[in-house]
Amino acid sequence: MAGRTRTTKKLAQRIDLNYFKRAYPIPRWKRMLSIAAVGLGVAWLSWGALTGRQSAFNAGPLARAHVILTNNCSFCHVPAGGFGTQVTETACLACHNAPAHQASQTFTPVCTSCHVEHQGAFRLAATSETSCTQCHSSLKTTGRKTQFAASISSFQSGHPEFAAVRTGHAPDPGTIKLSHQVHLKSDLKGPNGPVQLQCVDCHQPVSHAPNAPVAPVTYAQHCASCHPLVFDSRFAEPVPHQDTRTVHDFVVRKYTGTGNSATWVAQRVEEAERLLWQKTCKECHVLTYPAPDARPEILKSSIPIRWMTHAKFDHNAHQLVTCTECHAQAKTSNYTADVLLPGITTCQRCHSGATTAADSRCSECHDYHDWSKAKPASSVHAIADFAR
Amino acid sequence: MHIDRTHRPWLVGTILLFFASVIVYIAYALQIPGGPRGGTAVGLAFGVGGYAVMLFEGLLGVRKKVPVWRLGRASTWMRGHLWLGLLTLPLILFHAGFAFRGALTATLMVLLVIVVLSGILGAILQHYLPRVITTRVPMETIYEEIPHVRAQLREEAEQLVGTLAVEAEHDDKVRFREIYASSIRPFLEAPETAPSPLFPSLRRATPEAFHPALEDLENICEEERQLSRQRHLYHWLHAWLLVHVPLSIVLLVLGGIHAVMALRY
Repeated sequence: MAGRTRTTKKLAQRIDLNYFKRAYPIPRWKRMLSIAAVGLGVAWLSWGALTGRQSAFNAGPLARAHVILTNNCSFCHVPAGGFGTQVTETACLACHNAPAHQASQTFTPVCTSCHVEHQGAFRLAATSETSCTQCHSSLKTTGRKTQFAASISSFQSGHPEFAAVRTGHAPDPGTIKLSHQVHLKSDLKGPNGPVQLQCVDCHQPVSHAPNAPVAPVTYAQHCASCHPLVFDSRFAEPVPHQDTRTVHDFVVRKYTGTGNSATWVAQRVEEAERLLWQKTCKECHVLTYPAPDARPEILKSSIPIRWMTHAKFDHNAHQLVTCTECHAQAKTSNYTADVLLPGITTCQRCHSGATTAADSRCSECHDYHDWSKAKPASSVHAIADFAR
Repeated sequence: MHIDRTHRPWLVGTILLFFASVIVYIAYALQIPGGPRGGTAVGLAFGVGGYAVMLFEGLLGVRKKVPVWRLGRASTWMRGHLWLGLLTLPLILFHAGFAFRGALTATLMVLLVIVVLSGILGAILQHYLPRVITTRVPMETIYEEIPHVRAQLREEAEQLVGTLAVEAEHDDKVRFREIYASSIRPFLEAPETAPSPLFPSLRRATPEAFHPALEDLENICEEERQLSRQRHLYHWLHAWLLVHVPLSIVLLVLGGIHAVMALRY
């Protein structure tokens, strides 16, 4: 037997010249899968379009406040001539009030450049840092020179010290004579025995709403129990914490009610008022005398409610740290004039700009819009316009 | 495609384009209010660039359909497809600001990742497997011819056994044919599933006069074995295309729809 040989001729004869005309598994499957995949994709989008669900085309989930508009793109995206649509200022302002920022700003950004939608369920008001620093990193204004820092890149870079505690700052304008150090001592004499006062005994936010300011201290709520305005041991009722004329009338009425002579009443009133004007009231208040023999007038307490007029601060959001962590001076302060606000470095300990740190975007403390210039809303929409 | 030194200009060009894109993206991401996203001018430019590269990638399929057209060498197209294709992922990620966002855009991003990864897998396979086939399948034939060649091999074996030109006893010839029918034919009919014939033991069981015929049959079986190996390797070499091509097409179609809808809204 000659045995098998593999010559070129023999090999060539084995080739079926029509092989390329037949369908083979891999190319066939490739074609079928391509058609199926495209069909599936188009069917998915068509189904959404036919059933009125436009969410597939969403550039991303809407902010929580706008989520009701998920399937109603045209609510915000209005025709802009030709094929395109646009989210115009009109679309935003139809529902939202957006007062201007500053009269001297060099340009007004459109709403959507700072409030970027389709980024998920978060607050649209929480704008990015660059929304602010696009101007404030190199601040230019129209007209006169700005009073604000002109080169703020972030809370950590270029942000000035808070005005209330900046070098050369004004003293606390309050006129109530108060030593925080004394009031924070242990074993203070309280109405029912010794007490240890805590900060929250006198300082509490006006409400639980975000950014609620701390309510001013009031005599009736915070002082009266330890500092009763007693003027005579014959009367249990203290004088009202009001102007000196009301106090005078109260004292006269009390002594007159005893049935004693007018002379006696006049002497007791004089004694009581001496005690009140020169000791009891004076302990906390500054009294001024319009004339040497005139009844004194009490200087307005002038306790500031908001220290940071250009920023907001939420005490409720910060209650996980003790008060003295930030207001450390309170423990040693003896004078009303002491400003007990923390400086920027205290805030920067947590709001450091690091990815694992507390948020330090501008919008955490500042509002872009000047809400004092807000106008009443004048929406034109009915519920049916957006509830689909 | 074998990735060799001739790919270096493409590799360098791709790396340069990638770093240029990274620099542009970082500069843009640091200053754009609200963060990088597809709707901004730079984001849109990345999107248009990314989609243009995808379209070019898709044109490779068209180029293959018209091999005689003067559209540049197929190898150049393939190099462009391979290296520029790698750029699509970073360009589209820069376009989207590294966010998946909506249902369609998230789907597109997943498709793109799968297409790019399957392409990389394909490039690796196409780089190594042809050499493996050359060394492990010396009797390689055109893949589509394998069934036809197999039929011919079976026919050759049947003819060999049917017309045994051996001087031997009739009973021995009958016995040899029985051995063929029981041990060799099943393998030739189903080489992927049937057990491979044990030729050394068959040689011991048959008279010496049959050994040349047995050697030819062994040769035929070896060719069968190699064709099976080739088929197996060929599937590895091309099966990734079952993922890469359909998903590339659906990516192009849905990407086009996304572009139109995004420009509208």
